[in-house]
Amino acid sequence: MMIREILALLAFICAVVFGIFGLIGLFRFPDPYSRLQAGSLLGTTSVLSIFIGTLLLSPNWSVAARVLVITLFFLISSPTGSHIVARFTWNIGTPVWKPSPREKEGKGKA
Amino acid sequence: MREIMLDTMQWFTIICIVLCIVRIFTTSTASGKLVALNVLSGVVLAFLVLRGVREGRALYLDVALVYDIFGFLGFLGVARFLKDKIEGGSEQ
Repeated sequence: MMIREILALLAFICAVVFGIFGLIGLFRFPDPYSRLQAGSLLGTTSVLSIFIGTLLLSPNWSVAARVLVITLFFLISSPTGSHIVARFTWNIGTPVWKPSPREKEGKGKA
Repeated sequence: MREIMLDTMQWFTIICIVLCIVRIFTTSTASGKLVALNVLSGVVLAFLVLRGVREGRALYLDVALVYDIFGFLGFLGVARFLKDKIEGGSEQ
């Protein structure tokens, strides 16, 4: 019983770390493409870690089986949704972000 | 220990949901809104699963599975509608 709680705690810590960095990327990145990368990181890694933790903490077999089915469906649906968003963004002709000339010059000096 | 972990993760997912909704309303482009909506769908699913495991009732997890399926279908429909709309507008 104890080792299951320790493994679940590790999974939840992983979920919190990836969730915080994914949210920072979702707010700070300038481009829909790079923002999509941060969003896919949050949507896949963080939510999947939460599912692993709840699978370890589930009280009986009926709950565990349902969590497993939800995990399998989420592994199909989340990358498909990200692909649809990326394809939509590319098809409507969104320009790709480039660094401004001042930043490029500063990088060259350094 | 188990209840404390599950309650803490429920509060974390609630904070994520609020921040995703704020992000939906603060971006200007349709792509940014769709990215935030995609993240919001996954985080709400995680909250429902955490709630169901915390209460120990399998009924909540059935609701979470149906929510995921219908959320995915609705998301696909919104993307399709926006694509047709924007392509039709650019042709005219």
